[in-house]
Amino acid sequence: MVNIIEMPEITSPTIANQPAPSPEPGVERAMIEIEDVDFSYGTHQVLHDVSLSVPARAVTAFIGPSGCGKTTLLRCLNRMNDLIDGAQITKGSIRIEGTDINASSVDVVDLRRRVGMVFQKSNPFPKSIYDNVAYGLRIAGVTKRSLIDEAVEKSLRSAALWEEVKDRLHVSGYGLSGGQQQRLCIARALAVEPEIVLMDEPCSALDPIATAKVEELIRQLKEQYTIVIVTHNMQQAGRCSDRTAFFYLGRLIEVDDTAKIFSNPGQRQTEEYITGRFG
Amino acid sequence: MIAPKHILGTFDEALASLRNNVLMMSSLTERSLDRAITGLVQRDDELCAIAIADDEEIDQLEKQVDKDGIDLLLRFQPVASDLRRVVSAMKLSSNLERMADQGTNIARRARKLNQHPALPETALIMPMYTHAMAMFKDAIDSYVREDVQLARSVVPRDQPLDEMNSSAGRRLIERMAEDPGQLRGYLNLIFISRCLERVGDHATNMAEDAVYAAAAEDIRHQHSASAANG
Repeated sequence: MVNIIEMPEITSPTIANQPAPSPEPGVERAMIEIEDVDFSYGTHQVLHDVSLSVPARAVTAFIGPSGCGKTTLLRCLNRMNDLIDGAQITKGSIRIEGTDINASSVDVVDLRRRVGMVFQKSNPFPKSIYDNVAYGLRIAGVTKRSLIDEAVEKSLRSAALWEEVKDRLHVSGYGLSGGQQQRLCIARALAVEPEIVLMDEPCSALDPIATAKVEELIRQLKEQYTIVIVTHNMQQAGRCSDRTAFFYLGRLIEVDDTAKIFSNPGQRQTEEYITGRFG
Repeated sequence: MIAPKHILGTFDEALASLRNNVLMMSSLTERSLDRAITGLVQRDDELCAIAIADDEEIDQLEKQVDKDGIDLLLRFQPVASDLRRVVSAMKLSSNLERMADQGTNIARRARKLNQHPALPETALIMPMYTHAMAMFKDAIDSYVREDVQLARSVVPRDQPLDEMNSSAGRRLIERMAEDPGQLRGYLNLIFISRCLERVGDHATNMAEDAVYAAAAEDIRHQHSASAANG
């Protein structure tokens, strides 16, 4: 992808020189390598020894019952959990293209630019559509109007929203429908040209039409981005993702190609969960 | 190990109903074939007529299984073993319906044969019938018990049945030349032999579907694929 805005290069001191572990079978090129991760909220451990490769330019779905740790792991990928007192990885590492994202020298703001996030409930800023999308660019120090204009249009087009809002870019983002607001949030995340997009139940508050639009968008975005999606909707995981990871009680039970997980999972617990025998 | 029940009781009920209808079709098909062959061997037109009439109920059950299967797919969006169970049930019912059609064909041919003096060559049919029905029963048993090994054992048994059919055909053609006065009778026996060969084919299909349902493995056309590759 051609950079249309002048973003500073990633400044995080990498330890990419360290040999990257081999990706798991079925993953051609891993964008994210999660290795033996334990995570705790204070004394309460919620992730146990999780190891997982997230392939580049593909959609990986995290599924599992509430409280299984899938959202916690998702939030580890751009260190969103840093914002919670006492929350920390107590063992293991998470590497993005070889860089340990929890190294003390990593710039968290820069990490979150590289790893964008879309939340369960759309959360546009109380600003115009244009300013919502331009927000991240301005924070990153981009001031040139023409660059911002270009990035806003490109992001809104990438989020399949441009045609619906191009004539009202300067009205409040709150005036959009729920589905449009969610796509606005996706556009906002894309504006800073992340490499990875994390989606935490992005369609849980949307109607079927808006859900279909977001799912189609996910399909298109994976051409350029690595996408990790947390969903409770089994059909959505089946439709959207290339790989599916099933979590239970803070442990990764199974990860495999989505077609395999939903036709013939290897683990009994996965089978029982996806077929609705426990939850 | 028995799978635990679904959280949705209606899902379990729908799956059980689908399976019960397939098993009902299986019982009716077996009875229909048995009546048709008994009608042939005992020269009983009434049994043949009953076998022909049985087909209507089996046809209706096939439609019911399809309807229930589609309804289940729509309402519950089954995945993994549940999806395989639904797909297999629908495919089994299709094979059972065609198998029952063979019973009807046999009964019709038997009625024609019964209008003429008995042919000793009718005895050629019984070993084929016994073989085909053993395949059929094992295919159904393997589906019911999710017994992959039993299901796999059914598939190679189709070849001997094909050979029995060829052998019977050759013998009956010889008899047609030797005894042209009974040409129609021998021709009817050739058709009956062919029907039983088709019963074996359907039993093989059902066994393959039973393997897919239980083990998610598609074993169809492996012989033809390996022959093509070889």
